[in-house]
Amino acid sequence: MGKVRLATTWLDACAGCHMSFLDIDEAIIEVAKAVEFTRSPITDIKEFAEVDVGLITGAIGTFEHEEEAKELREKCKILIVLGDCACFGGIPSMRNAFSKDEVLRRAYIESESTKDGRIPSSPEIPALLEKALPVTEVVKVDCFVPGCPPRSDAILYALKELLQGRIPVLPREMMRFD
Amino acid sequence: MSNGEKITLTINDKQVEGTEGDTILDICRANNIYVPTLCYLEGFSNVGACRLCVVEIEGERRINPACTYPARNGLVVRTKTDALEKYRRLILELIFTERNHFCFFCEVSGDCELQALAYEYQVDHMRYPYNFPSLPVDTLNKFLVIDHNRCILCGRCVRVCGEGVANHTLDFGKRGWRTLVVADINQSIGESSCINCGACAQACPTGAIFSKISAYRGRTSEGKVVRSVCSQCGVGCPIDVLVKDNNIVRIDGTDLREPEGQLCAQGRFRQVYREGTRITTPLIHTRARGLQPSSWENALKLVGEKIKEYKGRYGTRSIAGLASSRCSNETLNGFAGLMRQIVGTSKVDTLDGECYRVLTKGISSFSKNGLGLEVESTLENILKADCVLVVGSNPLESHPVAGSYVLKARHQNNAQLIVIDSRANTFGFRADFRLRPKPGSEEVLFNALAKAVTRRAANVGKPHRNGSLAKTAETTGLDRAVIRQVIDKLSVAEKPVLIYGEGVINQKNTRIIARLLDLANVAGKDGLNVISLKPRGNSRGAWDLGIASQKEVSKGKLVYMLLGDDEVDTDYWIDQLNQAEFVIIQASYHSPLIECADVVLPSPIWAEQQGSYVSLDGVKSQSKRILKPLRGIRSDSEIITRVAKKL
Repeated sequence: MGKVRLATTWLDACAGCHMSFLDIDEAIIEVAKAVEFTRSPITDIKEFAEVDVGLITGAIGTFEHEEEAKELREKCKILIVLGDCACFGGIPSMRNAFSKDEVLRRAYIESESTKDGRIPSSPEIPALLEKALPVTEVVKVDCFVPGCPPRSDAILYALKELLQGRIPVLPREMMRFD
Repeated sequence: MSNGEKITLTINDKQVEGTEGDTILDICRANNIYVPTLCYLEGFSNVGACRLCVVEIEGERRINPACTYPARNGLVVRTKTDALEKYRRLILELIFTERNHFCFFCEVSGDCELQALAYEYQVDHMRYPYNFPSLPVDTLNKFLVIDHNRCILCGRCVRVCGEGVANHTLDFGKRGWRTLVVADINQSIGESSCINCGACAQACPTGAIFSKISAYRGRTSEGKVVRSVCSQCGVGCPIDVLVKDNNIVRIDGTDLREPEGQLCAQGRFRQVYREGTRITTPLIHTRARGLQPSSWENALKLVGEKIKEYKGRYGTRSIAGLASSRCSNETLNGFAGLMRQIVGTSKVDTLDGECYRVLTKGISSFSKNGLGLEVESTLENILKADCVLVVGSNPLESHPVAGSYVLKARHQNNAQLIVIDSRANTFGFRADFRLRPKPGSEEVLFNALAKAVTRRAANVGKPHRNGSLAKTAETTGLDRAVIRQVIDKLSVAEKPVLIYGEGVINQKNTRIIARLLDLANVAGKDGLNVISLKPRGNSRGAWDLGIASQKEVSKGKLVYMLLGDDEVDTDYWIDQLNQAEFVIIQASYHSPLIECADVVLPSPIWAEQQGSYVSLDGVKSQSKRILKPLRGIRSDSEIITRVAKKL
């Protein structure tokens, strides 16, 4: 059997989920034997290749996130999301109680440390969506590993299940929302 | 409703028994059949708000909540089927998406019942879009935060506030998905009739109502719960103290269902964390530099030398010992033994000795057969009362849980509440009759009431005699019609209870107390039901042990004051101590009073030593040592023993 091809990306997130991924410690060697990492935050490859498993951390906060999620969904057979942001919206969704304009004004103009602030308008910067959304509201997701960040043993469990050809459902004792 | 008949039904293919009047949930719980719940709170009314306890009942068209469905003979019930589990998960997802239930910045994450159920049902994503409402967060209360965004509208807080504490501050406001838990007429909880008892926070299954004092100090799973007793006032409530890393995280009442499981702001919040600087080493006063830290050996040596010096020069009568009735029986006994037996002085008193003398003299001049505090009844009797007369006290301020008993009597027995106080008293706003006699006219009033109630008992229902009570009304400045109504209420009451407090005791007039007891005696159909609200947590204990002096204690040249962690009327005691030549204070916290001392010995706080306390109605309970004392702190008994060794 050839290696399982995996692509990961982090969208509206803090990197904590990828850190927790690395916290599986020496098990990463076993994972690396079975998995070929294509695109990930450390490979700096821009395009997604066709892969078996796509992995997303982070919520959908901008048009770029939305596009990336859709692209990865198209290129992968199974899509797994890690962390509260990707599963539920998480920290980025704290802004959802306010309008996008209020959020931008607060961050770039009204914040106490800002003087003569401007809301960035460069077309190179991806525009915010009106709300930060869980991935499942944009594309179909096959497997969810919640947690902020998810326990590393939960991530490992999910990967092992996938390698065994099963769609993982996290056992109760590995469930956590914080 | 229930006629106590046994019924048999089938739950999950098993025959189980229950009693008519039980709900299906009651029977499931009694038979260890697990049914998930959120809004259910044992001992309180069932509202069926959360729908998690839905069960399948044969013959019913739909699934029904077990908590509100009355069990019947022969019902066939299933509590766990694939369909039910599917619905329960769906309900959880609806609750999660309705408001803000993101756990990562929630105070109760880890202690949350909603979160625990989501884990149980493996809710790893939501199939509904989130609502993201922008609801208010009310932080104006000194101790509580209400974050409506985290509320699931289970109504547990509303039920404990009404059915448990009988304060009825919280209720639901607005309609449909806009429904909010509101205080009074939709005020901030900080500006409402809330008495800060915190029962709502204890009952809340999520992070919607939580304590500011305990916030982010730790989770239940990280600490250890110690059952002890609160010594803040004479009600003596049992407390469950959650301790983590030698810090108090939280204090809970032992059982929300039971009146004695309640707590007040003092018991639940203020003693978790008290502002102020602890005294951690002995201090010795020097003329040049004031109070300076010293070694235990030097401080104890000085104490020993000075006591011996005053004893030798002026005799034992020059030495006085004063102890706070906040201290435990053991500490007080040790202190009295030291002063009376080893030092040899008869001048030993408690700081509230004056109250003791006024109360006991008042009671004995009423009973005329030498009886004292043993004539008083228990706090529990308030709960059975059909008429409560509160005189010179706002129990919600001085003894809040006793105050809540009064409200509970009103709630469950429809008891009449009569508040008489010559001072402004906000408890009167909760009363049926609020009388504010002119200061100094109380004796006349109680005398007249006692006489009138005696006469009236035979004539209830008949009109009052023309011109009666005119003089009383004039002297007291009260409306005659109101006095007459009060007399009628007291005359018909079957189980009246009299509660009186500092407003009576501090007048130091034993005749007022005697007349009050006369009144309670004639009004009480099945005997005297009187409770005096004593000033300190262990006043009754100290007085029963004979620590308080029978006669007033004249001033000493050397005063040894055992204060512990008590907070006293500082100005009064500074005046008193300034008249002494040499002052020894054993205390836990720095205060202006400490500055009067020549020697200060650091005392542990309530949580740092064990001891027994007697509640104001005479119930003895044992407190535990909850915290390891701060470095250098010794127990009060050890200090007393070491002082004795120096003599």
